[in-house]
Amino acid sequence: MNISSAISKSTLLATCTFWIFIISKDFQSDMIPFVFLSIIPIFLCCAFTILFTIMPFFWFKRDGLSNRSVFKKYFPFYAITSFSLCLYGAIKLSFAISFFISAFFTAMQSWVWLAKDNQ
Amino acid sequence: MKNIPLLIGALLFSILFYQQNFGLNLSLFCLLTIGILTIYNKDLFKKKSTIIFSIVFITTAITIFFHKSSLTIIAYVVAFLTLIGNISQQGSSIYINWLNGLYASIAGFFHRNFNTTEKGEKTVPKQKTDYPHLIKIIGVPLITVIIFISLYKNGNPMFNELISKIDFRFINVQWVLVSVLGYYLLSNISKPVRVDPATTHDLNIENSLGTKGDIVEEKLKKENQLGFILITLLNILLVFFIITDIVYLISTNDLRASAFSNQVHNGINTLITSIVIAIIIILYFFRGNLNFYKDNKNLKTVTYTWIVLNLILIINIAIKDCQYIYYFGFTYKRIGVLIYLLLAIIGLFTTSIKVKQIKNFWYLFRVNTLTAFTILIISSIINWDNYITYYNLNHAKSMDFNYLLELSDNNTFLLKNYADRNNLTDEKKSLIEEKYKAYIIELESKNWQEIQYNNWKLN
Repeated sequence: MNISSAISKSTLLATCTFWIFIISKDFQSDMIPFVFLSIIPIFLCCAFTILFTIMPFFWFKRDGLSNRSVFKKYFPFYAITSFSLCLYGAIKLSFAISFFISAFFTAMQSWVWLAKDNQ
Repeated sequence: MKNIPLLIGALLFSILFYQQNFGLNLSLFCLLTIGILTIYNKDLFKKKSTIIFSIVFITTAITIFFHKSSLTIIAYVVAFLTLIGNISQQGSSIYINWLNGLYASIAGFFHRNFNTTEKGEKTVPKQKTDYPHLIKIIGVPLITVIIFISLYKNGNPMFNELISKIDFRFINVQWVLVSVLGYYLLSNISKPVRVDPATTHDLNIENSLGTKGDIVEEKLKKENQLGFILITLLNILLVFFIITDIVYLISTNDLRASAFSNQVHNGINTLITSIVIAIIIILYFFRGNLNFYKDNKNLKTVTYTWIVLNLILIINIAIKDCQYIYYFGFTYKRIGVLIYLLLAIIGLFTTSIKVKQIKNFWYLFRVNTLTAFTILIISSIINWDNYITYYNLNHAKSMDFNYLLELSDNNTFLLKNYADRNNLTDEKKSLIEEKYKAYIIELESKNWQEIQYNNWKLN
């Protein structure tokens, strides 16, 4: 399973969604350097999420269980839990709504990438 | 062509919800949802359960239009999830409908994306779209051009002026994003997916209990004895508690609100603990072969007695709560106690059915969640703020006037009407007038998406 590729793709996706939401409210050209700078923390967040919350499902799967089975078995509950946490975060910290939206969609897509890889 | 209803739905979603509060838009979204579901799942709308859940969903949508409150919005969301879950899997339990409905609504797109890819790989190998290349040929030039534009802007005033004249404000990106979100939601629910392990497990498990392995008489005899002694002792204890409670109820003349409040709330705490422990103990003893043991008659008798005693305890607390309401009027907490007592009666009743007809734990869970859902929907139909206000103003022996003012705006017209027809103190009149004026301003400032039934009352 190519984890580094998944982390890179997730970072790109998260950066795009995160900034699309911010830019849609107010765009200023001064923001451009921050778009590039933000890739570093977003990369760290994506790496942390993938390595510590998604990959363990694949690493510690029972013998004989395919990636497809792991996806079908655990993804629904992961999706519901992460949605609940992101919704709670978005309600409590409304200024960080773009962070929670991009975090949710990136986590979901990362699951698909990782489960599709080496099926 | 296949996606046209979804695209139209997404645009309507944005028109309904972009920068709007809830009101008529939720009612119209209900129709949009049912429309989309009907287009993509025609056959399922011939099934009785789907029609019933659709009617329930429409009812909650109408309720929101008439009197919006947190309860009506919760009922609306639960009815929405139930309908989606029912379409994702017919014949499953209601809590599985909720699980499937939630999962389908939030992550159906990703689930289908994963499944489609796998199916596609197994059948006709389609030519893959080279997404990284696509991103490169669009993203890299775009980013580079933006960087260079920002650089040249600083270097040349004329260029800066020309660039500044380009105005993209006619494109409302946020409106587009809300449309995308609407498309995502409608696409998710158009063909609802299901949570596989939980749904399969639910469909495979029946309500009845069967024998587990061999029936070992000696072991069952000991378990039967233990159950009988334990439940009999608890029965004696509960009888003693009920007698002392009734004596106290008859003898006391304390009509202070705090005394009633203490009695009701302490009683409720006792009841919650008692019923939870009762059901756990009953479920434990009647979990397996003891149901089929020939000498379990006495154990069943003391179990039924315990259920009846708990019902007496419930009636006792209901009387206290009704007295409390009679003297001090309705509040949400007092109504909540009555609803809890109703749920407890149904819970005990289903537990006795479980014992009598040898049902399993899942039967209890299925029936009780369905009951909770039904009570949620029925209670959301009632305009509680209006009823509380009406009862407290006209029938309660005494009441907290400030409590009525703190309720939602659903009781504003009733309060105003009451103030106009009765001699109230100037302070009370001015407080009602203040609430009324604020509500009128709020109603008048609503867009068509946010209007409610009360807007009609203004004319």
